[in-house]
Amino acid sequence: MKRLVLACLLALVALAGAHELQPAYLELREGADRSIAVTWKIPYFKGRPLPIEPGFPDDWQEISEPHLTPLGNGLLFRWKMKPGESGLDGAMIRIEGPRTGLTDVLVRATLANGEATTRVLRPESPGTEISFANGGVPFMLGYLFIGIQHILLGVDHLLFVLGLLLIVDGTRMLVKTITMFTVAHSISLAIATFRIVEVPEAPLNLCIALSILFLGPEVVRKWRGGTSFTIEHPWVVAFAFGLLHGIGFASGLSVTGLPRGEIPLALLWFNIGVELGQLAFVLVSLALMRAWKVIELRWPLALRRAPGLAIGILGAYWTFDRFHAMLTAV
Amino acid sequence: MPLAHLVQTGFGGFYDGLAHWALTPQDVLLVVAFALLAGLAGKQRARQLVLALPSAWLLGGLLGLLVPSLMPPELATTLSFGLVGLLVALDRRLPAAAFFALILAAAGLHGVANGSTMATTGPGWLGLVGATLAVFIAVSLIPALLVGLKKPAARVAVRVGGSWIAAASLLMIGWLFRAG
Repeated sequence: MKRLVLACLLALVALAGAHELQPAYLELREGADRSIAVTWKIPYFKGRPLPIEPGFPDDWQEISEPHLTPLGNGLLFRWKMKPGESGLDGAMIRIEGPRTGLTDVLVRATLANGEATTRVLRPESPGTEISFANGGVPFMLGYLFIGIQHILLGVDHLLFVLGLLLIVDGTRMLVKTITMFTVAHSISLAIATFRIVEVPEAPLNLCIALSILFLGPEVVRKWRGGTSFTIEHPWVVAFAFGLLHGIGFASGLSVTGLPRGEIPLALLWFNIGVELGQLAFVLVSLALMRAWKVIELRWPLALRRAPGLAIGILGAYWTFDRFHAMLTAV
Repeated sequence: MPLAHLVQTGFGGFYDGLAHWALTPQDVLLVVAFALLAGLAGKQRARQLVLALPSAWLLGGLLGLLVPSLMPPELATTLSFGLVGLLVALDRRLPAAAFFALILAAAGLHGVANGSTMATTGPGWLGLVGATLAVFIAVSLIPALLVGLKKPAARVAVRVGGSWIAAASLLMIGWLFRAG
């Protein structure tokens, strides 16, 4: 049984892709002369720009060459277009390319009179009609959805939370620890989103991997009945590493081009989405532990230790992988 | 085939598979019926269910993934949850061998249907893992809520739940025949 569990855990390593892929961003801003200023930001995927591009109605024409600005985590293009007779309102926008299934695209359109609308294009619905009726609700729901998606697809963040659940004793300490993690990553998410602090992506991802690797031996120490600062005060570790994870969450919140006044609202809804996803994960994990206790299900020792081992093995794998990626980039 | 379409959550294949299970009435009702049956029968059956049902589901699913043409007829998957619902309504405590055989047959059948769907509609093995995890969570949580039920009225309420599942099966079979 031990060997089987170990084999499964090692297989996990082969599947473990905890990539932080940002949504792409398309802004269409109508000028006084009815021309459309286009801002198109594509994120990097595995070190290369994602091969996707916006598709406009057939009667739209480019009236300026795209101007390219390289960013730390992607490429930014700006150019101008002349829309057809119908203009921006009612235009059909599509995202095209071989890898449209990899990320969401935030589309923001603003009329010359300041009226704005935001849509989120998802892999299963890569096109939308720009409409300025009821623009606010999709805007909020879009960021909420991206927040939930970011945490539920962020295996590294979930694994860290699982590690905390495994070393915490008692309901009170659990609530305190999870609350501290939430407070910390909310603070650093806001700080990173407003660009008060900017951390390069490669060392940040390495540090997040290290935080998971750090928890692995702590879980093992806990099994052996040992103690440590982390086991006695898990909330301190949750707060400290929560700050790191919050900056990681910020990579999922693409706000380039959003008017400054709308960034707080986007941040709020994104963070609510992250918290909802995290809360669902914590509640399901706790409910499962409770249910197994009620039906007196005792897993074999190797299986009981599998989550802790997974945290250690994946933490180590991501640490080496991200360290290698960082060195390669240099 | 009504099962041959898959919900897209936008969260990737794993969550598509999980959502597929949650949005396929035949699959949900089968798992709920088994969970009620095991919950009524006590802790031992509940433990056996947690281990056996997701395993049978996964094995069936792998078979369906490898040989998508094995997709079972909808009548079979509908009948299977009706049968388990009927056992709940009758409050039958099956012998262990019969319990495992029923799980293997019914969950294996639904697993094959799941696997065939996943193979033909995109998410593949990742979707199957998501669906199996959903099944695992459901069969862990639901029986735990029931094993402590002592009052006769509470057991009757669970049996009524089983009878509704059996009735839903009959209704769906009726629709299947009407649709031809």
